[in-house]
Amino acid sequence: MITIWHQVRPAERAVLRDEIARYEAAHPDVRVRPLYKETEELRSGFQAAAFAGGGPELVYGPSDVLDTFQTMGLIQDLSPWFSPETAEEFVEGALTYLPSPRDPNRRELVQVGDRFGNHLALVYNRRFIPEPPKTTDDLVRLAIENTIDEDGDGRRDRYGLVWNFTEPYFVIPFLTGYGAWVFAEPESDPPVPALDTPASVAAYRFVKQLRDEHRVAPANCDYELADSLFKSGRAAMIINGDWSWGDYLESPAIDAAIAVLPMVSETGLPMRSMVSPKGYSLNVNAQGEAAEAAMAFVRHMTSEEVQRRLVERLRMLPGRRSVWDDPLFESDPTLAASRAQLESGRMMPVATELRAVWDGMRPSYQALLGGAMTPEAAAAQMQHDALAKIDLMHRRIEPGRSVAVVKLVVGLLLAVALVWQWPNFLAFVRDWRQNRIAYLFAMPAVVVIFAVIVFPFFYNLVLSLSDMSLVRFRDWRVVGLQNYAEVLTDPMLWGPWGVLMKTLVWTVVNVAFHVGLGVMLAVALHGVVRGKSIYRLLLIIPWAVPAYITALTWRGMFDYEYGAVNLLLTTIAGVPPINWLGEPLRAFQACVITNVWLGFPFMMVIALGGMQGIPAELYEAARIDRASRWQQFWHITLPLLKPVLLPAITLGAIWTFNNLNVIWLVSNGGEPQDSTHILVSYVYKAVFNLYRYGYGAALSMVMFLILLTFSILFLHRTKATESVYG
Amino acid sequence: MGSKHEPKWITFARHAALLAFVAIAVYPALNVFSISLRPGNRLRSTDLAIIPENWTFESYVQLFTEQPFLRWLVNSLIVATLVTLTGVTLASIGGYAFSRFRFIGRKATMLAILTTQMFPATMLLLPIYILIAKLGLVNTYLGLMVFYISTALPFCIWQMKGFYDTIPASLEEAARIDGCSRSRAFWSVILPLATPGLVITALFSFMAAWSEYIVAAQVMQDEDMFTLPLGIKSFQASLSSQWGLYAAASILVSIPVICLFLLLSKYLVSGLTLGSVKE
Repeated sequence: MITIWHQVRPAERAVLRDEIARYEAAHPDVRVRPLYKETEELRSGFQAAAFAGGGPELVYGPSDVLDTFQTMGLIQDLSPWFSPETAEEFVEGALTYLPSPRDPNRRELVQVGDRFGNHLALVYNRRFIPEPPKTTDDLVRLAIENTIDEDGDGRRDRYGLVWNFTEPYFVIPFLTGYGAWVFAEPESDPPVPALDTPASVAAYRFVKQLRDEHRVAPANCDYELADSLFKSGRAAMIINGDWSWGDYLESPAIDAAIAVLPMVSETGLPMRSMVSPKGYSLNVNAQGEAAEAAMAFVRHMTSEEVQRRLVERLRMLPGRRSVWDDPLFESDPTLAASRAQLESGRMMPVATELRAVWDGMRPSYQALLGGAMTPEAAAAQMQHDALAKIDLMHRRIEPGRSVAVVKLVVGLLLAVALVWQWPNFLAFVRDWRQNRIAYLFAMPAVVVIFAVIVFPFFYNLVLSLSDMSLVRFRDWRVVGLQNYAEVLTDPMLWGPWGVLMKTLVWTVVNVAFHVGLGVMLAVALHGVVRGKSIYRLLLIIPWAVPAYITALTWRGMFDYEYGAVNLLLTTIAGVPPINWLGEPLRAFQACVITNVWLGFPFMMVIALGGMQGIPAELYEAARIDRASRWQQFWHITLPLLKPVLLPAITLGAIWTFNNLNVIWLVSNGGEPQDSTHILVSYVYKAVFNLYRYGYGAALSMVMFLILLTFSILFLHRTKATESVYG
Repeated sequence: MGSKHEPKWITFARHAALLAFVAIAVYPALNVFSISLRPGNRLRSTDLAIIPENWTFESYVQLFTEQPFLRWLVNSLIVATLVTLTGVTLASIGGYAFSRFRFIGRKATMLAILTTQMFPATMLLLPIYILIAKLGLVNTYLGLMVFYISTALPFCIWQMKGFYDTIPASLEEAARIDGCSRSRAFWSVILPLATPGLVITALFSFMAAWSEYIVAAQVMQDEDMFTLPLGIKSFQASLSSQWGLYAAASILVSIPVICLFLLLSKYLVSGLTLGSVKE
């Protein structure tokens, strides 16, 4: 059995399945199990699985994660299976080599690529644009001509040129067109970012001009909006990658064609996009026969025969040299354009630093397009942030003296706890005999809970004292309290409007609205109400529909130009449109609104359930005493709801505090400019973008302590462990 | 507190508020429905129409004909049902112990089970995977279910304890004086009165198993063994998601939840109130 985690796009999976079926038919003793993983999931999932000594034999995907996997020691050298002669049969760049971490003079083959991809090109709608632009002057002219407001209502019905504003990947062709590149050239090892150059400033100025002076692009445009605009014929041109072209060519509403990106008129340089090979890498845990079987499969998948079939069915750019003579490259215009764009493209650097570069560019690029930064300031900030992130990512922490102190303190604490709790333990033993039934009732649940949590808890505790990170992944050591020192002195976290403050506001506001709305609706539904069951059913819909899609639709509803929220505000309330997703505070509010929507039905159901337990006579008695409705609510309903609501409020606060999903989906991972983060998304970013496991563990321990303190205080104040009838 | 004798304006305000919230609750979900009908794989639209131009049920058809959707549905139903049954059972007896008995370590344990919820799930991923791998539970439903039960239980226990707390102890004492054993009193007097709590516990455990995907993605290695959220997530790819399928599947996933709620809501608001209890 060969398991392979792949990032093959949905539309192409059928082809992969067919190839696997063919292979299995030819090799009856082999089973190949493909499993799709989304980019980030593949990365973090493979890290965890390979770290634990397991994981799939093969991973298939773009080359950009390879340096990370190799630095962490998770993949092995493929040279034994691909001799120099075999390697010659591949196009340059299809096989990815990296210097060995153990011996810098040796190069290891970390990936065998079967194709190239991810390159951006210009897609244009032939209904509006007969001939694609050759220069950026043409591009601007065509874009201006095609930015029109047909019905004269002040809103544009068609834009000239759209692309994804939020990802710096999409600005690379502009940078290369002005002669800039992400790393200083010639590339050194390790590469050094070169984001603050006159060439890149000129490129940003051009981008800004496109949107602000020529106004050929919408004010705010993320990937999905750009995509939808182009597909519905509301944009004449789009810059997008090879993964999207199939959809466009098939869309009946438009007549799409692919062209090479134009030459920049000012510099005479072509706009070159980044290209990366996609291919197979071998898990370090696959040894012996498993490795042989897996590599036999890789050899098959990269053989000429299979490659030809893939070119024919997927129109992809193959890794094997001999397949490039295929007549399809002449006859198919899309493939021809794709090939031309590839040939003018630049290979995506395979360096861990690239991730820090993207992370460093993203906030300032978004600020630039949001109008909050000048091109000069943005370029300078990008360089600064990228350097800082590289430093963080590659930081080595040496074991400090605190190791001994920590060990001593832990030992002492254990001893003290033992002495201190000894009488309690004796009491427990006595109690066990008297209260046996209580223990027997509580035990099964408690055992299940702790079986799952005890190991992760202590593991996390140890990790928080360790230097586990990119450079010390499998060989991490306990180094002391450095991570905590860093967490506690981080101004981003504890400042007056820092992440902690935001998290507290987030939690309090959300829980207050959840409980307030939930109880209000439960009261409105209580008693004899016509249509009660229909209301109840419709009101739980936000709970029933999965949050991972509704959060995305809320993101769409907050769109500046086309979103329902702004349309409602402008047409009904006459308020000017709000840039929900483009301004830090607004984006945060958008997240809060979404989460309130997601959470109120749950509290409503709990309040509904709780109100059933309130004896009706209490209300009757109150009515006889002429108590007002408000008094009844305040003196009867609320106090008697307390025991039922308290656990929900406590846990609701904990869950909200730790709610990653909404922030991640609504503000697209903290946008704009990493401004919407709460602690949990901050941890997520630190761990999964910069691989700072030790730091992340320390921060999550601090979060744990914050929540623990809150819970103890809250439960104590509200006496939640006691019963109402006392 | 609605009754037949309430003033007109209150009835009016009641319905106005309910209608407003129904609109707010339903509209974003209708948007999801709209995406599922949209041809050409578009997440966003530039107009507000719920029924898009050239609408099609293509995505729904594809789910059943080209995707193993039914298989995922069955897997998910099995996992979620087992988690719900186990969760409700353990929570109803566990909550009872915490509500009715005063034993050593009661408060500490109640607090300790809350602490399990205080860790960001993403940080637990690595140790949980190690745990599951060491126990040989990778790619088994058992590993998944134990995890789901243990994440759902803390809330369920607290919730059940809260409900038991609202039931006067005198009821139970009366039953015991009448000759009932402790467990008999629990079974035939207390448990029926705590039905709304059981309903909430059941709904919650069901949802915990029904919608989780982060841990499931680590545990399940075989597409045929996927639960629904995993299947749905597989339609999502960075920058090339199949939004039509994604939305259609999300709509279908909500239907069993709604059905379960319909089924249970009878008990959520059943006549089993404490109306006849005299303190």
